Amino acid sequence: MRILWFVLSPLMALAVGLFFLGLSRRFMARIQWRVGPPLYQPLIDILRQFTQKSVSHGPLFDLGVVLSLASSFIVVLFMPLGGTAPLSSSGGFLVVLYLMLLGPLGIALSGGEAANPNVSIGISRKLILALGYEVPFLMIVLALMTYYGTISIGEIVAAQRESASAIASFPLVFSGIAYLLILPAMLGVRPFEVVGAAQEISSGPAAEYGGPYLALATIQHGLTMFIGISLFVNLLWGGASNPVVFFLKMLVVFAFGFWVNAAFPRLRVEQAVRYLWRWPTLIAFVGLILVATIGR
Amino acid sequence: MSLGLLLIVAFGGSLLTYLLGKVSARIRDAFAVLISLAVVVMVASLYGKALRVPFYEGFLGMPLVLRVDGLSWLFAIVASVLGCLSVVFSLGYMKGKERTSFYYSMLLLVSAAMLGVVLSGDLLSLFIFWEIMSWSTFLLISYNGGPALAAGMKYFVMSFVGSLAMLAGVVTLHGSFGTLEFTGVAAGMSSASPGYVLAILVLFGVAFGTKNAIWPFHAWLPPAHSEAPSPFSAVLSGVLIKMGVYGFLLLMFVIVGLRTFLSLGVGRIEFHTVLSIIGAITILLPTFIAIFQNDAKRLLAWSTVAQAGYIILGISFGTSLSVAGGMFHFLNHAVFKALLFMVVGAVEYRTNGVRDLDSLGGLIKRMPVTFIVAVIGVCGLIGVPLTNGFVSKWLIYKTLILERSPFLAFAALFGTWGTILYSYKFLHNIFLGQLPQRYEDMERAPFTMLLPMTILSVVVVLFGVLPGIPLAVIDTIGVSFGFESLHVTPWGIASDTGALNTVNMLVAALVGLVVVWCIFRSGARSVSVGQADSYAAGAAVPRDKYQYSVRFYAPLRRMMAPYLKDLVDSFYMRLAGWVRGLGDGLRRIYTGYVGDYVMYILVFLAVLIFVQIAWSPW
Repeated sequence: MRILWFVLSPLMALAVGLFFLGLSRRFMARIQWRVGPPLYQPLIDILRQFTQKSVSHGPLFDLGVVLSLASSFIVVLFMPLGGTAPLSSSGGFLVVLYLMLLGPLGIALSGGEAANPNVSIGISRKLILALGYEVPFLMIVLALMTYYGTISIGEIVAAQRESASAIASFPLVFSGIAYLLILPAMLGVRPFEVVGAAQEISSGPAAEYGGPYLALATIQHGLTMFIGISLFVNLLWGGASNPVVFFLKMLVVFAFGFWVNAAFPRLRVEQAVRYLWRWPTLIAFVGLILVATIGR
Repeated sequence: MSLGLLLIVAFGGSLLTYLLGKVSARIRDAFAVLISLAVVVMVASLYGKALRVPFYEGFLGMPLVLRVDGLSWLFAIVASVLGCLSVVFSLGYMKGKERTSFYYSMLLLVSAAMLGVVLSGDLLSLFIFWEIMSWSTFLLISYNGGPALAAGMKYFVMSFVGSLAMLAGVVTLHGSFGTLEFTGVAAGMSSASPGYVLAILVLFGVAFGTKNAIWPFHAWLPPAHSEAPSPFSAVLSGVLIKMGVYGFLLLMFVIVGLRTFLSLGVGRIEFHTVLSIIGAITILLPTFIAIFQNDAKRLLAWSTVAQAGYIILGISFGTSLSVAGGMFHFLNHAVFKALLFMVVGAVEYRTNGVRDLDSLGGLIKRMPVTFIVAVIGVCGLIGVPLTNGFVSKWLIYKTLILERSPFLAFAALFGTWGTILYSYKFLHNIFLGQLPQRYEDMERAPFTMLLPMTILSVVVVLFGVLPGIPLAVIDTIGVSFGFESLHVTPWGIASDTGALNTVNMLVAALVGLVVVWCIFRSGARSVSVGQADSYAAGAAVPRDKYQYSVRFYAPLRRMMAPYLKDLVDSFYMRLAGWVRGLGDGLRRIYTGYVGDYVMYILVFLAVLIFVQIAWSPW
């Protein structure tokens, strides 16, 4: 069963990630009173991009994209998606925290060799934004790990199944609210779409990508969304006993994130960081203090 | 292998190197490399031994003793290996510079003094070697003159204050117990009152904390590290300041003892918790100062302060995992920080001393191997899985979380995210982006530089994939301190509360990379283009101007700059200003003219006579 999940988890992440990309375009279109492209449009785009010729700026330009996507797939292997995580006993959530940064770092290295200032500005913004949401995010995950006394995602899920979901239990409800407040920033959607701002810095890190590069970067974007949402479902909403329920829970969280996306204009990067370090951090901090003082 | 012979070779080699330099530069270089290699071999042969050798009887009635055990071996091997690699690196770096014989001789002297410190068996020898180390370090830091001299002075003054505190501690201990040998002092300490132990810890803590540059004693480090010659910066940052860590470990777990150390405190405030919090502050503040540095070496220097914070946090938290993590992080930091300083050294060497992050760029095209080792070093520094830094930080995070100290864990984890920002800036501004025209014909780094860097980068990956090799050594040291054993396996740690398995990660990473690579190659092939062929919204790419590196994190800087003043350093500088003002005032009195002094004497006599006549008190 465990062996099966090694193949199943990445495939599910790929499918759901692409589905979310399509759904988000559709979703936005409907809010803006348009018809929008079909749901499978991202898949068509990716297949087309694979056949298109592109430019390469050097070996690191290629390797960085590959590293970024590969690390995102490995993160998925640490995630229980309504079953057991294939790589559950190899360092736990602390490894996931690190692997989650390899995705942007791979793109950053690849984009660095592209020698394009638009790319570098985008990366600088991405790193600043990440520093912004990591403050509340780390407080949230530390509150969870301290509360449940474990560093394993699987055990956090199991503990929630025995009692209530984290978001419905007393001190952790603060962490849950804070996570919802930073979710759009983690997914990189408006109002936090500062990294790939198409009108300002020609899509930032993706400025030099075309063909297969763009395809991989798009898949990576889909996986990032998948990981951000599935982390919420696992850590705060008690995971699920089978993949279907898990997917449905993800869909609810996704809808919330994109409703915000449709309703707000883009912030500047320091406005974004200022927001992230104010309300979400305050709420996450209260949650962490309560967990550290009251505990279970 | 006697310990005395080892020190004779190390110290004698330093002197002989200087003399040989008068004969021939080539012979001197070869001799310096040979001596440092010989020291490495001799230290390595001491592995697993526990010796005690008195080398001088009857200093004030006390024997001076050398000894070796697991702890001192670990520090000795790191010091000797880094010393050797630094000498090899210097062969290229110092070519054509002045006073090279002096430089090599001092470099070897510093290594010898460090060996003396860690092999000392009593506090008096420790103090003597400690002073030799401080003096020779001062001479090397100020080697370049100018700003380097000021940096050296700052180091020396702060280090001197630390030494005085240490001397006071040594004298106090001798007065109380009549012996200075570690075993004797430890026996005396076990029955001493808690207040006394605390006072000793604080006195020695000032000395070791200053050397290790923990907050608030860190102010000397950034200028000293950035002004010293790069190969020596590697030694300085990698191992010399870690003599403070050695001192802390010795003091806390050998002399004071684990049980006493963990129970010390004033009221409800525990000493080791206070030290952990200082460690956490030492992580956070310098990390954010490092993000906004424009000098490559100054950035690395601030990063050294921050990483020393992880080590202090680890060893003072006082669980078996955290102390092992702290010691392992010492080892790892020595490897990757020495590597990164060497990278800057190589860049400096090829660009004629440029280390300004705003004026470099694109060097990946000219120095590919240097770039690869730099990436490996940076990954170790961040703690990317499958590099050594990951394992040591993982140990520290894990124990902080499971022991319910989420705020310390937050400082440690958030510090890592700051590390990503400055590490990427370091890589990007030197190696990525557009290559300036003036560097288009630059050569690669010479072999004598690439060799030590390659060795260090191999170690970064090796200890990341098979952390069991160093952890086995560290575990025996931990057990000798009285901690539980860690259940070390070659690929990590077996445990009920979250195991670590680096082999699983390695396989997952390799399979993931291969699969994605195959998918990537199945697409259409790409055409290789030069750096001028990038997107500029239809305009031609302007030469040497199409680069984003100056003020790389400008939006963040606008937000944070008001909060990031190094108040401690301004305080010290103001203190120094007052002392200088006092000196100027005194100089007005001590003019150096005999006539003035005669006048002072006459005035003084006149005052005395007046007092006698007026009130006749005598």
